[in-house]
Formats: sequence, structure tokens, C-alpha cells
Amino acid sequence: MKGSTNRALFGLWALFWLLMIVIALQDDLGDASVKWWEPILWEGSSCLVATFWLVLERRGANHWNQYLADPWRWFGKHLAWMPLIAVTFIVAIYGIRHGVYALTTETYEHESWLYIFFYESVKLVLFAGLWLGIIFGLESFARWRKEREQLLTLQKHLAESQLAQLKAQLQPHFLFNALNTISSLMQVDVARADRLLTRLADLLRASLQASARDTASLREELKLLELYAQIMQERFAGRVTLTWNIADDALEAQVPALLLQPLLENAFKHGVERSRDLVKIQVTAEKLRDELQVTISNSESTLSTAPSSGIGLRNCRERLLLIYGARASLELTEQGGGVTARLTLPYTRP
Amino acid sequence: MRVLIVDDEAPARDKLRRWLAEQPDIALVGECSDGLEAAASIAHLQPDAAFLDIQMPGMSGLEVAAQLEPALAPMLVFVTAYDEHAIKAFDLNAIDYLLKPYDKDRLHKTLERLRGRRGDAPASSSSAIRTARAQTGSSERLLVPQGEQLQLIDASSIHWIEADDNYVHVHTAQARYMLRRTLSDLLMQLGERFTRIHKSAAVNIAEVKSLSPLFKGDHEVHMRSGAVLRLSRRFKDELFGKMGG
Repeated sequence: MKGSTNRALFGLWALFWLLMIVIALQDDLGDASVKWWEPILWEGSSCLVATFWLVLERRGANHWNQYLADPWRWFGKHLAWMPLIAVTFIVAIYGIRHGVYALTTETYEHESWLYIFFYESVKLVLFAGLWLGIIFGLESFARWRKEREQLLTLQKHLAESQLAQLKAQLQPHFLFNALNTISSLMQVDVARADRLLTRLADLLRASLQASARDTASLREELKLLELYAQIMQERFAGRVTLTWNIADDALEAQVPALLLQPLLENAFKHGVERSRDLVKIQVTAEKLRDELQVTISNSESTLSTAPSSGIGLRNCRERLLLIYGARASLELTEQGGGVTARLTLPYTRP
Repeated sequence: MRVLIVDDEAPARDKLRRWLAEQPDIALVGECSDGLEAAASIAHLQPDAAFLDIQMPGMSGLEVAAQLEPALAPMLVFVTAYDEHAIKAFDLNAIDYLLKPYDKDRLHKTLERLRGRRGDAPASSSSAIRTARAQTGSSERLLVPQGEQLQLIDASSIHWIEADDNYVHVHTAQARYMLRRTLSDLLMQLGERFTRIHKSAAVNIAEVKSLSPLFKGDHEVHMRSGAVLRLSRRFKDELFGKMGG
């Protein structure tokens, strides 16, 4: 993007100066008192010094670009350099011209220095105005293109994550296995099968409600996790134990709805469903100053079996980024023979 | 009919066991809760049919099926809650499967089908095994007997394989395993990594160091391990092609 802006700019610049030299040559063609090289020297010296300043301006492109949204400041910051540029420009071009003339038999005749100073300054301000306008236009266009691209990617990811969120509430695999467990239990223990069926209904209701909202309290989210865990514990009886360490002052914190369930689901999927040994799952939540920290950890798995690029995790991370920017994070670490997902987000209350 | 149940979830096993017990002609010979155990039980108990859950820790039901020798395998019924891809493949190849949850009528239909197929059990098993292999791709791991137990070794650690009547010997750097498999079926399972060098031997292409010509178009194959094998001219072109000239 930066490359294409500069290419366009320097292309225009070269064309402009070529035109200036050709026009100057044509003007003085019939004038016998002017040697053919003189117009080239006049325009060439101006071109040389102006190019030097343009290159300096381009080197600081990143600095100027921060003011792009505010044209007055952008032009103001540039024009603040004008007095210095005007003085050095005039000194430099007339220095070059006198130096070259001194090497020939010709003499360089021009108006008085005071006149030249005002004349050249006015010319320079008009010239700078023209080119700053062009640079501003090119940079703004590049930024607009880049922002549009970012917006499109973000929108695409957002649509995907909304879709994934919809899918996440009704993982078909989970649902059908739960139904099969109930179908088995009711052959031997109708009361227990009935309880499990009610749990499943509660879970479906709660997740349908939650998906209609953007945020929920941690208390509501934990309720959802508990229902999910109870059903899973029935399916994997004897293969998993759950511990809950929830600080009371964390319960009213607002969290994105249905953000935690995929994390618990991962703990079951990568821990319990892949292991023949007893898996311990631990859920903790606490308020640390102005942040809420939730961790979900499981034993008996490694990060290599829980790819961090999974759709569930990516979905979580993108929702966090959209809602909280850099103020929230979700990290996966391996510790004590298991995997811990640590979610940190700003503590807010309704 | 002798039947094996394989499922990692206890309630799922309970249900199947209870309903199978009502069938006078069916004897339950065992229950397994993971893939490795299932493969060992199939080898030792040689059931007529096995109900294989697909999602299990360690090895999935499809991976277990992929490791079986069709001529010796039981008739297979895959059981799953939700697996779009596998189910599509089962439908295409007329493989029997049960979708969880299923009712008694659906199970009875499956049992009827199993009874009907008993006369032609190998054809039914080999179609199920082929479908399972197509789902799991070439096996990266091979199930081999280790004393009384089975274990999985990396396919890449195998140097060469030698056929011996109804058995094959699988050579690795450390050991030699004897499996009751046919060479051609094992090669089908392991895929492109291996190639035959004569009627009763195949090599891991990555383990071949060099070839030197003998008379009549035969060659000697020098393995990285130092072993020297014979390459018959019938398989010469294939090996040369796979080694890149």
C-alpha cells in the first residue's frame, strides 16, 4: 500500500519536472542571448533541491499519516516547515546556479536579492500547496482502501463467528449422545432419566435465551456450565470430576453470553473424551482489582491435542477483540499435565 | 451369534447389552470401552459381529476397523451420534450403522440384517473395512501384537515387511512383529509409503539406501539398516518410479 502510494507520487513528480524543463527550453529557443543549457540548469537546480525535501517528507510518512483524519493539522504540520524550506531552497538553488556559472564564461544575472526572496517564496508556497494536496489525496486514498479491506475481513469473521456461535449452542454430537444416555437410563431408572431430560431441556432453554442477548451475568453463564457438566458427568460417569471455585464478588460481572461454554466443552472434548484415565476439570472465577479472571483447566491432555487454532477458540478470541479490544485476553497454557484456558476481561456490572 | 460391544460411554453399553440379552440366538462375548481394547478383543475372542462406537479415546471405531484383516474380521455395525461424513460413506457402501439414540425396532432391523449376512460375512466385513480406511486415510500407525497385548507403532518406523504363509513379519529397527494378515491387505492399509519388491516382500521406500543390479533384470535392495533384499524384475519399474527414477 505504502509502496504503491510512493510509486504514483514519484511518477507524477518526474513527469511534472520533465514538463517544466521542456517548457523552459521551448520558451528560450528563439532567444540568442540564452544558451541552451541555461534553462536546464535553472529548472534542474530547483528540481534537485525540491526532490531532496520531498524525499525527507516521504521518510516521515508514518509521522504525517497520524494526522490524516484531521486535514487542517496535517497541512499545518507541513506548512510549519515552510520558512526553513524557503530560506534553504533559495540559498541552495542560487548557490548551485552561481557555482555552475562561475565554471563558464557566462554571468548569471538576476533581480535584486530582496525581490528574488519574495518572488521565490510566493512561488514555493503555491508549489508546495499543489504537491501537498496531491500527497494528501494519495495517502487518504491508500488509507481508505486499507480500512475498507480491514472492515471487510472483520465483517467476514464476525459473520463466521456468529454462525459458529449458533452452531455452538446446539452441538449435534452432544445433543444426540445426551439423548442416547437418557434412552439408556430410562430402562433402569425412570426418575434419574427424567431428571437428566429436564436438565437437557433447561440447558437448551438457557442457551437459546442466552444467544438472543449479547451479555449475561457470570452467575447465569455458570448455571449453563453446570447444566452442561451434569449431563456430561452422567455420560462419562466415573471418568471425570469437577471442582468449582467461584468467588462471590465475581458473580455479578457481565460477560459475553455463551462465551464460556465452548471452553468447558473443549475441556471435555480434549480431556475426558480422549483419555482412559480419570480427568479432573476445574473452573475458577475471581475478581482481581478491575478485572474478571475465569480459568477452566483439565488434566490428562496437552496443547498438541487441543489445537489453539480451533474454531471454538478463534470464535471466543474474536468476540473478545470486538467487544473489549486489547483489554481482554484468552490464553491457553500447559501446566501440571493438563491444559488451562485463562480468560481475563474488564470487570463490569450492569 | 457371538457379539462384542465397543463404546466408551457406560450408559450406551448398558442399553445395548440389555437389548441384546433379550435375543435368544445372541451371546454377548465381551464389552470394551476403547479402541485398543476392542482390537485386542476382536483378535482374541473372534466374535461374529461387533458394534463399534465411532468416537472413542485413543483409537476411533473407524481406526479400529481400518486395522482389521478382512478375512478374519467380524461383521461390523458402526454406532454414532453424529458424523455426517462417515454416515454418507456408510450409505453409499451399504454398511450397517446405528444412529444414537435408536429404539428397539431399529436394533432388531440391524440384527436381522446381521443374521441374513452370516453366510457371506467376509464380503460384508471387507466392505466395512474398506469404507473405514477410506474415511481415515492411510494408517499412520499399525497395530501389532506385543506379547499378550496389542500396541500401536508408527508406520514410518517399519523398515520392511515379509510374507510368510498366513502371516506377515513386520521389521523395525528394534523388533520383528508377527501379524496374522495378508501382505496385500496390509499394503492397502499402509498406503503409498510402502511398495512391493517381490511376491512376498515389501519395503518402506524411505528406508531404501541403494540398488545394485544382479543378472536377468533382478536387483539387490540395500536397506539403511544394512539388510539386503532381492528385487524381482516384475516389481522393478514400480520401485524405480516411486524412488524418483
